[in-house]
Amino acid sequence: MKIIGNKITTNMSLFAFLGFLIIVFSFTSEHFLGIYNITSLLTNISYSGIAAIVLTLVIISRGLDISIGGVIGLTTVVIATLYSQSDPLPVWLILIIGLSTGALVGLLNGWCITVLNMDPIITTLGAMAITRGLAYVISDSQSILMFEDTTDFISNGTILFIPIPIILFLITALIFSIILHKSKFGRAVYAIGANETSASLSGISVKKVKMILYVLSGLAASISGIILVGQTSVGMPQHGIGTELEVITAVLLGGTALSGGKGTIYGTIAGVLILGVLFNGLTISGVRYVHLQIFQGILLLAAVATYEIKTRNEVAT
Amino acid sequence: MKSTLLKMSHICKSYPGVKAVNDVSIDLFAGEILGIMGENGAGKSTLIKLLAGAEKKDSGEIYIDEKKVDINSPKTSQENGVSVIYQELITMDTLSVAENIFVGQLPVNKVTKLIDWKAAQKKSTEVLALLNSNIKPKSIVATLSVYEKQIVEIAKAIHKNAKVVVMDEPTAALSEKDSKSLFKVIENLKNQGVGIIYISHRIEEVFKISDRITVMRDGKLIATKQTKDVEKKEIISMMIGRELNQFFPEIKSEKKGVMMKVSDLNINGIIENISFEVKKGEILGIFGLVGSGCLNIARALIGVDDIDQGEIHINGKKTSIKNPKNALKNNIGFIPIDRKNEGLTLNFSVKQNLTLQSIDELGSSFIIQESIENSIAEKWVKKLDIKTPNIEVEVKTLSGGNQQKIVLGKTLEINPEILVIVEPTRGIDVGAKMDIYKMLENLCKEGVAIILVSTDVPEILSISNRVLVVSNGKIRKEFKKGEANQQELLYEASLN
Repeated sequence: MKIIGNKITTNMSLFAFLGFLIIVFSFTSEHFLGIYNITSLLTNISYSGIAAIVLTLVIISRGLDISIGGVIGLTTVVIATLYSQSDPLPVWLILIIGLSTGALVGLLNGWCITVLNMDPIITTLGAMAITRGLAYVISDSQSILMFEDTTDFISNGTILFIPIPIILFLITALIFSIILHKSKFGRAVYAIGANETSASLSGISVKKVKMILYVLSGLAASISGIILVGQTSVGMPQHGIGTELEVITAVLLGGTALSGGKGTIYGTIAGVLILGVLFNGLTISGVRYVHLQIFQGILLLAAVATYEIKTRNEVAT
Repeated sequence: MKSTLLKMSHICKSYPGVKAVNDVSIDLFAGEILGIMGENGAGKSTLIKLLAGAEKKDSGEIYIDEKKVDINSPKTSQENGVSVIYQELITMDTLSVAENIFVGQLPVNKVTKLIDWKAAQKKSTEVLALLNSNIKPKSIVATLSVYEKQIVEIAKAIHKNAKVVVMDEPTAALSEKDSKSLFKVIENLKNQGVGIIYISHRIEEVFKISDRITVMRDGKLIATKQTKDVEKKEIISMMIGRELNQFFPEIKSEKKGVMMKVSDLNINGIIENISFEVKKGEILGIFGLVGSGCLNIARALIGVDDIDQGEIHINGKKTSIKNPKNALKNNIGFIPIDRKNEGLTLNFSVKQNLTLQSIDELGSSFIIQESIENSIAEKWVKKLDIKTPNIEVEVKTLSGGNQQKIVLGKTLEINPEILVIVEPTRGIDVGAKMDIYKMLENLCKEGVAIILVSTDVPEILSISNRVLVVSNGKIRKEFKKGEANQQELLYEASLN
């Protein structure tokens, strides 16, 4: 029962920390617990949360994807450019092309990592630069306006008073927690991250699984991009700058190990919430954005340090 | 009388469950070559690790030049003049020969404090000349042959003024010609007053170059003899010293016929024209020393090593095995050599490990059905008598024997027709060993063909129906059950 014990305590302590933050901010700002602020907070985290959920699987398989921000930017530009043509394609087709953009980048990432055996950090770092660069080239470094009903509905619409991005986030979290924790594919993901040699000797198609993960990660980034277009009514190459850092921080904060084989969707949800609450709380308490970045960096380092210290203690005992 | 260079006195070292080195005392004189012999698991490597400071001894003392020294890290070991050349060479392959020889101590220019490359190269050439080698100091180590890399390691030891040089299976990966050159180098070192500890399975070469031979078995020192006063057979008997296991009866399988036929298997430079057949219900042993290629035969059969040439027929049908998944699909189950890194996923639970090879069987949809998973796990825990608090604990908390049973259960769940097992009982306790043998016996009765690759001499002789002896990548000899005794088997395998 040791695994389960650890899982509970890790997640419990994360949610306890979240509760602590909420209590602190409810004192520092009278607006923090207002329904308007809570809704806006949750809507804001949904956009990067979707990417974080999928990235959790990638990191558990001992991979990494830092092209997320670039893919978001590229997707927004691709969609808005297609829509701004004088005789635009139907919107559903534009959205499919937008999603394919991320999937294609993911496919190329996966190919480099599995077939050419390249390092995931370097591969996706290259992809980050390429996608961002392409976004600047396609958009000619301009912001492209896009007032369109479908994307507006996806980002600003509600079902039963719940904003659609939150619903999308919850659905993604649900689907991937089933995939990761209950399915054969999820078991393969853990096995690959924990010990790739033994996974391969157990008949798992290591390359195929990894390839699928990177495609999914690209796809998730494109979904985030579509939400962002709707929220801002503009496609621009600067969209998503720094999102990869936010997303990686949330996943690691949630207890997923960079060394692979360990992590949960619940943990990532907690990580996403902590990051969102912290940013929102500090902002409405009057802290400036430039300072927030410092907090984010500290949080990322603290998350990794906590993990390292914990593992060292485990080894020592 | 020459002076005593090294004295290891009453050394003990235990790991959980085993006394790896049990009250061992050896001494080494200046200008002497001491051979240490013993089977796998006899404790030779552990003894060397203690001397090298790679592991800490539980008790005992080490003296160098009759002064007691405290070796507790590789650094203190080297400072006391000990240099160990491991079987897996630890050269820095991307750096030059000179950088390897002078690692951490490259000569610097007195004024600029920058590295004086000219001096480094000149000194390297001098050291290499002592070893009759013309390797260029500027060469990148990765481009050198295994033999040349060994020379670089020896040069490093000489440069550090090592008094004691330990070599662990230095000829395992060398050709005959290179081995001969190496012996000259070793003689050379000996004449310069260096004390050499030479560990090898190859009895011929130990007899050729050593002055004295120490035999270890099951962690204990059996005897140390003057090489000139002792017979090879005597040494082999001391190494074995165990009786054959009598409990393993001749198995009569109900099923007949050839299960697997391997013809002219080649992996360039590693194995050559390997051909054999395994019948249903038969255990075919493949025996060879470290580096003989028998491990590669096993790896080729389960799709890990790519073959360059050759055919495999299963049940009369030509089959190509490209990867482990392929092997499993063709009903080839296996136990890999390295339980912890290849056989198991250590931080997975007992049940997750037991079902990993048969993950597709855990329910008809993409969801894992826990009831099926639990029943598979419970079945094997019961069948193989795996001692675990429950099926949810991580396998890393279990003993080696129980871990090995899990590796076996995991692969039996796929209902193999052929089982390739490598060192199935290495490092596990007697009880677990018996359980595993009993399981193999049952499998044979059911008609499973078993290929056993093992360096455990009594094991392979007592449980195999036939034993193929492999050395230098070729099959040298085939023994039927009862045809060979332990001495003969070891002797054949040590011929080059």
